[in-house]
Amino acid sequence: MSSLRNIQMLFSDAMTGQKHDAVAGELCRTKGSPLRSIALYRRLIRINYLQVLKITYPVLYRLVGERYFGILARGYLKLHPSTSGDLFPYGRYFPFFLEDLNVPALFTHVAKLEWACHEVYQAPDSLPVSWELQSIALTDPSRVTLQFHPAFRLLSFPCPVHRVWLALQPEAEAEQVVELPLLEEETGIVVTRPFQKVEVMPLAKRQYVLLEALYSGKDLASVYQMGVDSDPEFDLTLFFTELLKYQIVSGFSVGDSL
Amino acid sequence: MNFAGVQTPIPASAGIGLRSSHFREIIEDKPPVAWMETHPENYFGEGGVPLRFLEQIRSLYPLSFHGVGLSLGSSDPLDPVHLKKLKALIDRFEPAFVSEHLAWSSVSGRFLNELLPLPYTPESLTQVCSKIDEIQNALKRPLLIENITRYLTWRASTLSEGEFMAEVVQRTGCRILLDINNVYVNALNHRFDPLDYLKTIPASAVQEIHLAGFDRFGTWVIDTHGQRVHQEVWELYRWVIDHFGPRPTLIEWDTNLPPLHVLVEEAEKAGKLLGENHVVTS
Repeated sequence: MSSLRNIQMLFSDAMTGQKHDAVAGELCRTKGSPLRSIALYRRLIRINYLQVLKITYPVLYRLVGERYFGILARGYLKLHPSTSGDLFPYGRYFPFFLEDLNVPALFTHVAKLEWACHEVYQAPDSLPVSWELQSIALTDPSRVTLQFHPAFRLLSFPCPVHRVWLALQPEAEAEQVVELPLLEEETGIVVTRPFQKVEVMPLAKRQYVLLEALYSGKDLASVYQMGVDSDPEFDLTLFFTELLKYQIVSGFSVGDSL
Repeated sequence: MNFAGVQTPIPASAGIGLRSSHFREIIEDKPPVAWMETHPENYFGEGGVPLRFLEQIRSLYPLSFHGVGLSLGSSDPLDPVHLKKLKALIDRFEPAFVSEHLAWSSVSGRFLNELLPLPYTPESLTQVCSKIDEIQNALKRPLLIENITRYLTWRASTLSEGEFMAEVVQRTGCRILLDINNVYVNALNHRFDPLDYLKTIPASAVQEIHLAGFDRFGTWVIDTHGQRVHQEVWELYRWVIDHFGPRPTLIEWDTNLPPLHVLVEEAEKAGKLLGENHVVTS
């Protein structure tokens, strides 16, 4: 009699490759042939993973269509089999998988944005910054560096991915013609989760540069100076308030003395 | 979050499976169902939207956790990270029941994420019982194990599924989640009498019942959880509650998800049958 492990290994091999015969020998006839059972399970398993990727990457799915998405999903499964009973992380490498394929770069950009949304959806919570701490931060900005909310991602793309993302939302009009951004136009995007709703917001180039500087650890005063250099009317308080309003910032460090 | 009625066990009445697209409607409308069940794996994240909704729903309804990822029948050891996350969720939400499937879904570190049937052998029995012992010790509560749909039969099996389940219950003290749709689907695919199967199940160990819809694809009948409960399954359900007694009953619906009121209607139908039951003692 085959051991449990041997049977399970044979079955797993049959699901992931073409080696059907060994496991077929372990099965009773059902619906005429054991091969029909094997084919059914292969199909069910493929559908499961396809569904997970469709849920994780709904915009890409709408962008490329059912058939092509199915081909991508199959290719991904071959290279990146699941390693967990929790399917939340299953699509983690999908953007990188696309990057390695000869597909339009826009597909990869959309996938990167969608993975960021997926992560932000379940990222840890964080208490809002108190008004008292906010006023301290603005009193001595040269000593202040910001801490970013775990449910925040800052992304940059060489084309206006946000326009595509917006046009392919479920609530967008079905008849709408999506103009693909063929021209290069650098776009910054923030993904955040204010009030427990994942938001995707495009950034003006100047906003992106300032936010990236803060994210890389520059102090608030230096970023203020960068802002003023590009726009003499730059308002640090307003900028800071926006960061707090959208729960981009979850705290800050004040120099070495605290 | 204050869980009103944390200690309240799930009554022998009907509940529905909790799906994320119904979160807001459930919180706003509080549909008249007795309890809710969800897959704990959907809340394994460290924070965010799903956990917030689950907290609110838990404050309104008794809850049950129905796991899909522990791979009880695998020849691999249990995934300690998965078990730890499950334990943390149980501590936080205090579900009345925690269940898993009598199935395997992984081997040699590779997951197939499908509920796969075991060969019903003494070796499988030892493997499954050892895992259930480990889980019950970690969770400090009995686990409910569910009969699955299967589209194959292993030559190596020396026990029937009912005998296997009864032995697992006997050895580990776990309980049974009886999925009547799965019994019916298996009966159609493998051509046996579902009542013969049900008579092998230790009735006193059954703590929960699942009902769902199936679909036909070619010659196969597939457990899709994608439509209303079929009439034949309702009839089998009536037999079960007449012979086993009323049990908490869940309407499962995972694919082709309809509006919430359809699930509630199905739960009301189950509730009505539960209310009408007259236990046959013979």
